[in-house]
Amino acid sequence: METMIFDNLKKAILEYDSKASAEWAQKAMDEKLDPVKVMDAMTEAIQIVGEGFGRDELFLPELVGAGEAMEAATPIIEAELKRTGAKRESAGTVVLGTVFGDMHNIGKSMVATMLITNGFEVVDLGINVQKNQFINAIKEHNADIVAMSALLTTTVQEQKNVIEALKQEGLREKVKVMVGGGAISQEFADKIGADGYAPSAPGAAELARQLLAN
Amino acid sequence: MLKGYTRKFKPLELISAEEVESIHRGALFVLASTGLRVEHDRALQLFADAGCDVDLEEKRVRIPGWLAEESVRKCPSSYLVKARDREKDLMIGGDTLYFMQGMGMRYLDLDTWETRPATIQEHKEAMIVADAMDDVHLADGVFFYMERKDIPPVMVMLENLASGLRNSSKAQQFGYQKNCEIFAIKMAKELGITLNPEMDTASPLTIYGSAIDAAIRYIEAGIPIQPCAGITMGAEGPITCAAAVVQGCATVMGWAVLTQLVKPGAPMSIQFGLKPMDMKTGSPNFGSVTNSMTTVMMNQMLRRYKIPSCTSAGFTSLSKKIDYQCGYEKSMGALISALSGGNLQIFQGGSCSELLYHPVLSILDNDVAGWVGRFLQGAEVSDESLAISLINQVGPVPGHYLNTKHTREHWKKEHYVPAVADRAPYPEWLVTGKKDALTLAKERMDHILDNHTPVPLSDNQEKIVENILKEARLYYKEKGLISDEEWTEYMKALE
Repeated sequence: METMIFDNLKKAILEYDSKASAEWAQKAMDEKLDPVKVMDAMTEAIQIVGEGFGRDELFLPELVGAGEAMEAATPIIEAELKRTGAKRESAGTVVLGTVFGDMHNIGKSMVATMLITNGFEVVDLGINVQKNQFINAIKEHNADIVAMSALLTTTVQEQKNVIEALKQEGLREKVKVMVGGGAISQEFADKIGADGYAPSAPGAAELARQLLAN
Repeated sequence: MLKGYTRKFKPLELISAEEVESIHRGALFVLASTGLRVEHDRALQLFADAGCDVDLEEKRVRIPGWLAEESVRKCPSSYLVKARDREKDLMIGGDTLYFMQGMGMRYLDLDTWETRPATIQEHKEAMIVADAMDDVHLADGVFFYMERKDIPPVMVMLENLASGLRNSSKAQQFGYQKNCEIFAIKMAKELGITLNPEMDTASPLTIYGSAIDAAIRYIEAGIPIQPCAGITMGAEGPITCAAAVVQGCATVMGWAVLTQLVKPGAPMSIQFGLKPMDMKTGSPNFGSVTNSMTTVMMNQMLRRYKIPSCTSAGFTSLSKKIDYQCGYEKSMGALISALSGGNLQIFQGGSCSELLYHPVLSILDNDVAGWVGRFLQGAEVSDESLAISLINQVGPVPGHYLNTKHTREHWKKEHYVPAVADRAPYPEWLVTGKKDALTLAKERMDHILDNHTPVPLSDNQEKIVENILKEARLYYKEKGLISDEEWTEYMKALE
């Protein structure tokens, strides 16, 4: 039974089927399977997609499709993890979102997927995220990294505002700050005092690893 | 059979239907009044027997309009070219476009941008690259690297054909020269393939005996022919587009008459290139806008005649380097040829008129071929492609399409992805060596040569090819067309 559920859950992710992945995640919980093992199975599936992306066999639509299928199942498993207090091994926890005033979702979602495929736990706050939402999520999830996206030249400044808020809250030394998005450059990242910048989603995952290794 | 690219919309036209008829009538008048100079006794007799006014002394054939029009009607509107791998046969004609490997006499040194004669190994490598690229539909082992370090000139075409056959299973172009077509026909027959041999017209309005000898041999062997109507406007033909096309059409119909007199129903296509002379240097302006304009007009005329066309507007550039000029001159010509209904397009690999060829350029050109081919296929409009319910389902921001099944299922066939164009994000480009398309194409060539193995000739096929080559080598040696000195060097190179 356990193997069958794991296989179907992985299959749902590999077939980019959010409905099926949520259903099989629920089934896993109903059958009282170990939530840590269930999360590991899902991570294994999404890593297969990530590897295909690295080999130029799969592309962004597949990456995002698989990411969303995993996202649909994750809250179901996380609720059980929270209830039992079980802990998963992860590369780190990343809080991410597109900054206030900016409604661009896609690049940020790609980064989220790449982070998940690289073993990070991701708390995706969505788009148009206010600085206090970032602060609260960092505190709540004890985040290692905050990652901010901004596509518009008019909203890049908001990344700086979040960094200032981190300083005021005494969190700046505790979390690494990553920035990205179409309007961002390394020069800008340095100027606002971010710890790192990556030009692409795969680059963001690599950057996150480097920041935590340092 | 290879599908090539099928044009899904009306072809581009530059002149009206009435203007097409004016040009056709002009060509008929030229054929009937001035006619063609035909330097071939048997052909002159065929023309005379068919009712043409033939002046044997002047070798001039004046062709009546009815015969020209009847012969054009007899030409098949499409024909088959058989490849060594029958899955790669071509059906040339209709709304289909195939790309053909380009040409260039010499090897281009990418470090010095100077040219030199190529080696046997360089020819082999260029053929392997052509075999690996899906958008080279018709291979042309013959017309690139015709100037060789190690092969006597008289044997180059046959050795190149052999290299083409050994290193590619695709259908092959050929030509003629000092009776080498006799050996090529033998090779084709024994291998069970046909070739797509081209033969020259000397403009204005002249066909030499060697071209006719070759044409008759091919037609009688059941091999389709591809006469060329090449005109340098202002020198070999009139300077205006309309008049050059009149001359081109007179040539087309002259060849149609000859072909149908040799064998009714024999297939032919017409290769053409009507380009202006550079009035300072005297060289033909390949890649010029005029070349593209006459291409559209000739394609219109050949569509009227229902004779397949082989275009050359994108086959070369005047640039000596693989650079911006080379890219735009070739791409513009390729696109215009395709939009206006060319069936076969000489394209990948050549530049600097007909001087140089390089497999790296063929790789870059292949991206253009894919781009043009994708355009020809047009945009499908169906319930599935309109995706109205999907648009409603996704709605405004934060809805997006990157996560939809529709995107996953359609993006690859809806959008063409070039193999070597630089598409890296700028910051990534900065840290990965600032590579341009030329560098990426060089890397691609190395990758192909490391990883692609063409389907080899069987032992029996190899024996056929080698025996016929041996026979040809001795034939030309005995005829005194290969000197002792050339022979020694040649034999050494073949070891």
